[in-house]
Amino acid sequence: MELKLTDLTKKFGDFTAVDHMNLTMTEGVYGLLGVNGAGKTTLMRMLCTLLLPTSGSITCDGKDIFKMDGEYRNLLGYLPQDFGFYPEFTVSDYLLYIAAIKGMRPAAARKRVRELLPKVGLDKAANKKMKKLSGGMKRRAGIAQAMLNDPKILILDEPTAGLDPNERIRFRNLISELSEERLVLLSTHIVSDIEYIANEIWLMKDGKLVQNGTVDEIINSMPESVWICTVEKKMADDMMKKHKISNLKSDAKGAELRIISAKKPLPNAQRVPASLEDVFLYYFGGKADEENVVV
Amino acid sequence: MLWYEVKKVFSKTSNKAGLVILAVMLAVVSYFAVIQVGYVDEDGNTKTGIKAARTLRDVKNQWAGYITEEVLVEVLEQNAAINASDEYQSKDVTENNKAYAKKQGLSDIRDMINRAFCGFREYDYYRADSVTTEEVKEFYNRRTLNLKEWLNSEEAKDQYTDLEKQFLVERYEELETPLYYEYADGWSALLEYGPSISMLLVLVTGFFVSGIFSNEFQLKADSIFFSAKYGRDKAVAAKVGAGYFIITFLYWTVMLLYSAIVIGILGTDGAECAIQAGFGGWKSFYHITYFENYLLMMFGGYIGSLFILTCSMLVSAKTHSTVLSVAIPFILLFLPSFLSGFSVLSDILGILPDQLLQMNMVVKYFNLYQIGKSVVGAVPVVMVLYFVLSVAAVPVLYGIYKK
Repeated sequence: MELKLTDLTKKFGDFTAVDHMNLTMTEGVYGLLGVNGAGKTTLMRMLCTLLLPTSGSITCDGKDIFKMDGEYRNLLGYLPQDFGFYPEFTVSDYLLYIAAIKGMRPAAARKRVRELLPKVGLDKAANKKMKKLSGGMKRRAGIAQAMLNDPKILILDEPTAGLDPNERIRFRNLISELSEERLVLLSTHIVSDIEYIANEIWLMKDGKLVQNGTVDEIINSMPESVWICTVEKKMADDMMKKHKISNLKSDAKGAELRIISAKKPLPNAQRVPASLEDVFLYYFGGKADEENVVV
Repeated sequence: MLWYEVKKVFSKTSNKAGLVILAVMLAVVSYFAVIQVGYVDEDGNTKTGIKAARTLRDVKNQWAGYITEEVLVEVLEQNAAINASDEYQSKDVTENNKAYAKKQGLSDIRDMINRAFCGFREYDYYRADSVTTEEVKEFYNRRTLNLKEWLNSEEAKDQYTDLEKQFLVERYEELETPLYYEYADGWSALLEYGPSISMLLVLVTGFFVSGIFSNEFQLKADSIFFSAKYGRDKAVAAKVGAGYFIITFLYWTVMLLYSAIVIGILGTDGAECAIQAGFGGWKSFYHITYFENYLLMMFGGYIGSLFILTCSMLVSAKTHSTVLSVAIPFILLFLPSFLSGFSVLSDILGILPDQLLQMNMVVKYFNLYQIGKSVVGAVPVVMVLYFVLSVAAVPVLYGIYKK
């Protein structure tokens, strides 16, 4: 299974959401990391045939996915960012309905639903109406629907958005468990979501791929170093204007800063190993505000 | 898939309420249709219900048979005899009602005499009282004569072309006489309230089908739907199928229940009578029986419902707006009423889809359409036109949503 993006571009009027992307994906987990508006969802919607590219192509084992039509969508499992459901349906009905539109026969669908519900921890909620589920349970129902047809390509757009830390960890583990022998593309702006499960990470900014590789390769790609130093609180603002600060921790003694800089920023600064969060800040620093970066 | 699409519709709380509304509506309209038929007993009291309908049927069916000159003379004689009675002459309403109790058996034929001997656009309840037994022999000729006089009048002379006038006269002359008469009040009541129930039915069904194509977008479930294997073909077809299934199921269930209740209570007699053998259909140029009129009402209503609700689904599929979609049946049903004041639009108004929901009225209207050298009434035009449009809309609906 090979999914290939060639010179893929999507424009909305004058705005270029995805800008001449060239990529090849095979089995494994791919983490698509970028700030909001980087073009992640647009890219994913094209991969799900929900949007037509302005130019370029997406091929699956050499065949144009838009020409493959149902044959391609049969390989696909998709959990969108804004995951909608039918409020009056029970979890079981919802999954059986999605199984039907995925082309599964009723008997096979019922068997698959029985298999999946315990996996996503919803076996006790099978007869509960979708509108009565908590946010985490809805997301788990969402991943279950994506997995119904045992997809070879699993596309998850911001699957942990809005979940509490416990649910996020649980969800991350679930994705990791389900990712064997398939191509998983996981988009997020939450660095820790993909740090532990992605085989390859893509950093996307302004519709373009700015960096890609394994976690180590991405970290090593950063030309600057990471420093830790403690300064007086009144100096912290000044330092934030001069440097990229990936973390600030205040206590009675002062402010401990985690600084990304090519040179040693202060005499008392100590060099520390970089993390993926530091790299994220390095590449997306200008846009990395509290809303966009969750570490 | 179809089953889940239908389940989606009926699992919505608002649509469950819609079903209750339909049930209440059915009960209310059926009630009004049934109490439409009243029997006046010997004491002058009006009664309704099964027993009253049965008694009225027996009384009216004493006059069942072909309306020949002899029958007409007998009606006039009995009418005159009752008019001469103390009850009729009395100034007490109850006494008058007692007189009417004796007249109600012949009242339908008496009304036809009134119709025949008044001007085409007039009605005088007491006209039959002054028609002589000699005059009444012109009963059937008067029908055509009245039409000809009216067609040449100032009111109508420019309203129809010569070909259309010729068509109407020929249709009148083609009516087989003498007419066969029997009690048909059950069919009359059924036909009279049919449009009310079919219009209400279309409006309520609009709420059911309006969400079929827009819900995915409103619930943000569209991405999963369209990225599924059958999301661009079979699942879309299931939505289209669900729409037509719901329209068909609700229409026929409610209309057949309505028919069964009304006809069950008021009786099936008169099914084979021509609609001209009654007060309402005397002037109609459509030569059909009450039962055929009923079939027209049922199938016309169905085609009308299909077309109007298909428009609603098209709007839902195109705009993804349930609100706009729900508004379509209201617009298509009520807009013609607002436009009816514009006489220049009368030809167009006669073939708008709302006409299909009131076929019992359409057969009484003189809406004519000239196609080449042929003249046809509105009935075949609307039936064929909207059936074809409804069928043609199916692939359009599928195509729009698929995109």
